[in-house]
Amino acid sequence: MSKKPPKGEYIETETGNKVSRRGQLVGTTNIILGGKSVIQAEVVIRGDLTREKQQGQGNQVAIAIGRYCIFSRACELRPPGKLYRGTFSHYPLKIADHVFVGPSSIIEAALIGNHVNIGANCVIGKFAIIKDYVRVLDGTVVPPNMVIPSFSIVAGRPAQVVGEIAEGEVDGFDLREAYRAVRN
Amino acid sequence: MASFAPYAYIQCPCTESNLPTRRLGSESPTDPLETEQEEPTFDPRAPRANYSLYPLEHLLYCEDCHQIRCPRCVIDELVACYCPNCLFEVPISTVKSEGNRCTRSCFQCPICIGPLSVSSIEAQRDGLGAEFAAYGGPYVLSCGFCNWSSDEIGIQLDKPNSIYNQLAKIRHGGKSLTNARERRKEREERSKLGYSPTIEEEGGSEDGQEKTDLNATEDFDAESQFGNLKAFYQAQLSESSPVSSLGLPGDYSYGSPGALSRIMGLYTGSSFADKKSRTKKGIMREARDAPEGLHIFSPSSDEEAVNRLRTEGWGNTVSTTQRKEQSEQNTHFLSDLRPIPYLLRTRRSKRCKTCRHILSKPESKVHSTRFRIRLVALNYIPSITIRPLQTSSSSLLRPMKPTQFLLTFKNPLFDSVKVNIATAAKTPGRFSSKVTVLCPQFEVGANTDAWEEALREGGNKGGEREKRRTKAEASEGQHQAEAGKVWERGRNWVSVVVEVIPASLRVQAPAFLKSEELQKDESPLREDEDVLEIPVFVRVEWEADPTHDDTGGLAAAGAKDKEVKEKRELAYWCVLGIGRIARD
Ligand SMILES: [Zn+2]
Ligand SMILES: [Zn+2]
Ligand SMILES: [Zn+2]
Ligand SMILES: [Zn+2]
Repeated sequence: MSKKPPKGEYIETETGNKVSRRGQLVGTTNIILGGKSVIQAEVVIRGDLTREKQQGQGNQVAIAIGRYCIFSRACELRPPGKLYRGTFSHYPLKIADHVFVGPSSIIEAALIGNHVNIGANCVIGKFAIIKDYVRVLDGTVVPPNMVIPSFSIVAGRPAQVVGEIAEGEVDGFDLREAYRAVRN
Repeated sequence: MASFAPYAYIQCPCTESNLPTRRLGSESPTDPLETEQEEPTFDPRAPRANYSLYPLEHLLYCEDCHQIRCPRCVIDELVACYCPNCLFEVPISTVKSEGNRCTRSCFQCPICIGPLSVSSIEAQRDGLGAEFAAYGGPYVLSCGFCNWSSDEIGIQLDKPNSIYNQLAKIRHGGKSLTNARERRKEREERSKLGYSPTIEEEGGSEDGQEKTDLNATEDFDAESQFGNLKAFYQAQLSESSPVSSLGLPGDYSYGSPGALSRIMGLYTGSSFADKKSRTKKGIMREARDAPEGLHIFSPSSDEEAVNRLRTEGWGNTVSTTQRKEQSEQNTHFLSDLRPIPYLLRTRRSKRCKTCRHILSKPESKVHSTRFRIRLVALNYIPSITIRPLQTSSSSLLRPMKPTQFLLTFKNPLFDSVKVNIATAAKTPGRFSSKVTVLCPQFEVGANTDAWEEALREGGNKGGEREKRRTKAEASEGQHQAEAGKVWERGRNWVSVVVEVIPASLRVQAPAFLKSEELQKDESPLREDEDVLEIPVFVRVEWEADPTHDDTGGLAAAGAKDKEVKEKRELAYWCVLGIGRIARD
């Protein structure tokens, strides 16, 4: 909508996404952005990793991202892959609303729920499921297939639940303010 | 050095008896000046302080007591139990009978506690887990983090589901194990028929045991052994005192005569019990064989352990954390470890310890993350944020250099509040910094205009904040902090200036520069002693609507002027972590 001067760091899309010019979005037709999300510089989003068999059947979703998500510098989103019936295939990575991913973290989860805060330098293993209101502390390695229930604080290698989200912390996961603060 | 995030921690008034625990509304508020002088300054470095300081987000608020509630002054109440892995809810009755672990197929790696997934042996060779749908059995449990597999302890499964039940029947090396309950049932049946247990009937005996005392030393798993012991003593209790004082047969209570004499016997070296109860018909005896729960220590097991240590080496022994997770008591080697069934997690509601009103209650639906009741302190007391007034290049505070900080108080209430903040002139501890609050008394506006917040969500570019600032404070141009004046003011927030003169961290300083504590104790700088923390006593006063709750939403604003206002007051200690002082 609003045409920014070309020098700005971010390109703002019609749905309000702020995408850095230095972000690397591969296979953009397979990436769904819900709007009002921020993609910072050097972020890698691998939309090209789709299900092997059905290629050529039009666009299929590799990565679906909700609203008000913030992907910090140099984090990477990869759809998880595994061998199934003899062939290696990737499966969609779904990210809901108000998800923050810290710098240099790698996400290969199957599902990340609403209001999730992932710190810096984390690895979220293949097919991990993170439910709503979860905080992943810096440097955590979430093993493949791990399920993290709502209101958990996890840390460590491998990740372990180290605490619970207090009632009053729930509101702090809202990223609308943080989204608005990102400007060219 | 890591960057320092300023913080404000609040001390819950429940912790210190010498702090004002005024029940507001019921007692007349005391004169603020008077109490101020009586109270000693709260020392955030005191060892006990650690247990009473909380970030605002961790605190609840009781609307009936009009008081802050911390995790120490609330009662947790169980709402539901669920497995953190499969997320299935487990009814509390089941938890009581089956134990507090998931009995479906959820297991943790005994080596690294990562989640175990079921995979076919065939799929294992391809190096990826969770492929069971594609392949047939047998199956193993494998860890995606450290690559451990149950194959290593010789456990393979026939089915990819209900693994808990399958595992309960398999020993290390794949030998079958009779389930504790089945065994007990068998035994009961046998005793009914008048048999005595014989060696042949007891399956799953451990190898390497001498045949003669096989019955007594037979190795049960911990669960079966406990089950056997419990069953045995329950039977003994009901025999020795058929009807207890409460009229319930087999009652465990200490009030039952059998139990009482037993306990007396324990303390008086059995003579008491002997004299008293020898005449009685039912004397309780102890367990005397394995089916009754007796486990005889065999000296050969020690030798065996030493020999294993020789052959397998130190590297194959378990760590304390690994051992702690096991339900078996005698796991010494990695090859003895078994997959750990997931411990269930709870969903809880919280009650005020004083008046028992519910402060927090989750919605009853299993996967809902909403709350039916959620009285968080965040909605009742002003939040405090700290930032330096002048941006400096260094993240550290320069010693002896006056530095100014902005404290911003944001009011969540729909009534305006009067805030009173007090600090000691010097921070407590060996290195005491000087502190001056330039404006200790001010009023913060009500949080009435909720519409504005809603409108701002409509994608404004964020210029709103600046606009409000200029409107609120006409003297924007003045960049000199003035005593007695608010620095900046907004709809429901006020910023005031605090000036600190950070102390020098030099232990070997001239005497006149040193605090009394430092003169007494000249040991080197301790951990986190360089953090400048200011204890602040905060008093908040406001006039509330007694009929409406303060967070009732927009509706509360309408009928306000008709009601009689009620005076409320809240006072608490707060610790502001400002920053780290540089070493000079
Ligand atoms: Zn408390
Ligand atoms: Zn489970
Ligand atoms: Zn493992
Ligand atoms: Zn109460």
